[in-house]
Amino acid sequence: MKGFADIVWIELRKVVRARVPYFTALGFLVMPFIAALLIFIYKDPELARRLGLLGAKANLVVGSADWPGYLTLMTEFTALGGFFFFCIAISWIFGREFTDGTLKDLLAVPVPRHAIVLAKFLVAALWCLALILETYAAGLALGALIRLPGGSAAVILGGTGRLLAAAGLSILLVTPFAFLASLGRGTLLPLGIAILTLILGNLATTLGWGDYYPWAVPALMVQGASPAPFSYGLVLLTGMAGLAGTAAWWRYADQNR
Amino acid sequence: MSWTIETENLGKRYGRVTAVEGLSLKVAEGEIYAFLGLNGAGKTTTIRMLLGMIRPTAGRATLLGQGVRLGSREPWARVGYLVETPHAYPELSVRENLEVSRRLHPGTERKAVDQVIERLALGAYADRKAGTLSLGNLQRLGLAKALLHAPRLLLLDEPANGLDPAGIVEIRGLLRELTSREGVTVFMSSHILAEVSRLAQRIGIIHAGRLLQESNLDELERNRRQRLLVRVRDPQAARAVLMAAGQPVGVSRDGTLELAGPAALERPDEIATRLVQAGVPPTQLVVEQEDLEEYFLRLVGEKGISQ
Repeated sequence: MKGFADIVWIELRKVVRARVPYFTALGFLVMPFIAALLIFIYKDPELARRLGLLGAKANLVVGSADWPGYLTLMTEFTALGGFFFFCIAISWIFGREFTDGTLKDLLAVPVPRHAIVLAKFLVAALWCLALILETYAAGLALGALIRLPGGSAAVILGGTGRLLAAAGLSILLVTPFAFLASLGRGTLLPLGIAILTLILGNLATTLGWGDYYPWAVPALMVQGASPAPFSYGLVLLTGMAGLAGTAAWWRYADQNR
Repeated sequence: MSWTIETENLGKRYGRVTAVEGLSLKVAEGEIYAFLGLNGAGKTTTIRMLLGMIRPTAGRATLLGQGVRLGSREPWARVGYLVETPHAYPELSVRENLEVSRRLHPGTERKAVDQVIERLALGAYADRKAGTLSLGNLQRLGLAKALLHAPRLLLLDEPANGLDPAGIVEIRGLLRELTSREGVTVFMSSHILAEVSRLAQRIGIIHAGRLLQESNLDELERNRRQRLLVRVRDPQAARAVLMAAGQPVGVSRDGTLELAGPAALERPDEIATRLVQAGVPPTQLVVEQEDLEEYFLRLVGEKGISQ
């Protein structure tokens, strides 16, 4: 256990000292600001009219200009934006070992490679969770700032639960991108595929096949479309496949970098 | 005898491309073995196979009595290595990079970091981010990571890479000390024969993935060609005199006569006497040994072409 704690320490230190996590933290903060802006515009129809298209879009997206509507909007943004930011996190954690040429120093060591992979996943999950908490705290502060009505402990707690569930599903769904980062020996392949995954997710949902496409499930869930129970199973399976595939690749593939 | 490194018919193919083929070598405990070859000869592929980073397509390797398997945990607690260009986490300081290495080798004491910083003269850079280091200091950091956990075997790929002449001498001294005082075995690759011949007890020469020659320093000395170089004022006349005396003679572009026959090499004084008697006295006469680079390139050229 002490050995594993050491490996987690190593991975945490690498993340904390790098710039990328702080850029993702800054970038992800845009989500609650957009949600708060849309709600704010929705609250003031006169302003919405003057803003033209943005006003129209705000009317389309926002259900109600109160805490429940605001939290739902934030959760939707988190499910979509979160996936991409989580992809950046996990792709960087795995891909940087290849681009920085440091992978070789992790291979012939008296620590099992699967422990290193597991520690990387754990730190990636912590990174994603930190992004969620930061965004959520900012979101709550912004909601209070624009004086939204309809807030209660039950509403906030319910919204928090849905947001964490969406974040959990998104975290599970990005594990295959660790495999892609290892396979592609960097961050380009996983981030390219992440964009494709989002496009295909939109298509699958539009065509009514969202239940069968794991990456569409968090969005379906937060939109209240109630995905089928097997859809959650698919998400879990995708997460496990990503974990196992990455561990196997680190264990068995030739490492030339 | 137990060998620290033993490979048997080790080979690696990538589709139709053969990177290493039929490599069988043995390295004894406490020995410095130099693995010499041109770029792309198969040195790094061999080192990666020895470190369990690449799966051989043929043969097997044993390190410190343990068979090497891809992704295995053994015997790496007793092995230190430096593969290709040294890399470090750029955002971490030198000390933090070493701390990472220490934690990757459970059981290594905390003070080992300070000790290795001192040993590799990295004190002035200890708190500097690795991303700001020069290539030479990155190389020192790479060597420090390899030595941190007091390994019994060091696998070093081009250890002098990026070091200045003083640094090369320093590292040479360090490796000599490790082998003589602590009994550490060193397997190092290089493409510079002159550099490794000052350090290694045995030298293996690899070309196009095959081991061409394995020799100790004495054998290396014997194998190097010698020639007698003679400078005269009239090269053509001198050449005619020596040819008439049954000495095969070559003439270089600058008019220097080159004699490689055993008689000329053993008795250069007789050559001088003959030339003086013929009225073409030598202005300079010297027995020259083929330098290491010429020897290496000749060997690689001859055997490489004959394959």
